[in-house]
Amino acid sequence: MSILNRLRLNSHLDDRAMAAIWTDSTLAGTRASHPHLGVCTACRTRFASFSEWLDDVRVDAAAEADEVFPPDRLASQYSQIFRRIEAGERPARVIAFPKFSTPLTSRTSHASRWIAAAAAAGLIVGVGVGQMMDLRHLGQTGAARIEARLAKPGGPAVLPPTAASITATSRDEAFLSDLDASLSRPSVPELRAIDDFTPRVGEQPR
Amino acid sequence: MTGAQAAGLPGREADGAAASAVKALQAEGRLAEARERYAELVGRHQRRAVRIAFHYMRDSAEADEAVQDAFVKAYSHLASFREELPFEVWFTRILINGCLDRIKARTRRSRWFAPMPEGPGGQQDFAERTAGKGPSPEDQLLARERRVALTRALARLPERQRSVFMLSHYEGCTSREVSAMTGLNESTVRVHLFRAIRKLRVLLADSTGAGSSVEKRRVNP
Repeated sequence: MSILNRLRLNSHLDDRAMAAIWTDSTLAGTRASHPHLGVCTACRTRFASFSEWLDDVRVDAAAEADEVFPPDRLASQYSQIFRRIEAGERPARVIAFPKFSTPLTSRTSHASRWIAAAAAAGLIVGVGVGQMMDLRHLGQTGAARIEARLAKPGGPAVLPPTAASITATSRDEAFLSDLDASLSRPSVPELRAIDDFTPRVGEQPR
Repeated sequence: MTGAQAAGLPGREADGAAASAVKALQAEGRLAEARERYAELVGRHQRRAVRIAFHYMRDSAEADEAVQDAFVKAYSHLASFREELPFEVWFTRILINGCLDRIKARTRRSRWFAPMPEGPGGQQDFAERTAGKGPSPEDQLLARERRVALTRALARLPERQRSVFMLSHYEGCTSREVSAMTGLNESTVRVHLFRAIRKLRVLLADSTGAGSSVEKRRVNP
């Protein structure tokens, strides 16, 4: 056995050496082994205590995580994972934007469009016919129009002329005719000279 | 031996078979059967995934989301899974990357938003302060103090050391597996684990006050 190996075998292990032994065994997934640990009870005890401390750290860490995630929380997480996976496998829905309560293109919209067009055409035809009827009425004589209005049952209440009113009208007309005649020809010979001097309305300069 | 080693090859073989079956069923369009088969994998790895995510995130809600994301992502990308790699390793890598992305996003957010004040006793979440049923109040208090000290000590480790320590020690992964999960080479993994243990030993000894001499002690023959 070389001096180096003998020194290695005889010198006690410090924390650094223990950490190295522990690291190697952990990473290799094997049991910790060192020549000195086989011969020195004190170091074996210390290494056991070192490993125990690290085990406690692991147990504490696991306990902390398990306390935060009890079985019911894990169960809800589990179902949430599969809900998300299922949602991801469903075909994507295309949402129309802006969204209407009824689809933009449908058979009912065609029908309503035709109904609106028919209503508009009917209105135009009605207005046109109405205009033509008015023109026909313009072609009639005034008397006929009056008669027609009078004959209309729903028209304004116009009373028919009485015999007395007709006689009074003709009397007025006769009086006015006589007046015109007397003015147009002077009947008194003595006044004819004065009449000649008197200017007439029609002869007045404008 | 812990974790993966304790599960042994049969567990890994079962994982590999289940993953291959899910892949084939997905390719054939038999999606309901694929989901049913994938449920086996989720059931086997969920607890482990939750622990890893929680130790990374230190926040139950974020850990929950990270685990969900990882399982959904693994299912949808199962076509890219290579059978020569254990499913556990492949999945853990997805999970860790997701956690690291979330931590980065959280760090960015924390630059802009003031943190929420903690509740009485420093607890953050009602679920986290729910007491267990078994141990006495004193034991619970001591355990809680130990965990708080451990959490603080772990938080003071550099990110890579923490990852390597958690994966190798908590999950029982070998250096090869940790290397595949983290992208570090095996010798770097060993160095990180060694340094993590040494630093934790010092930090925890300082925090408890006991065993502070352990670090410096060297017994000569």
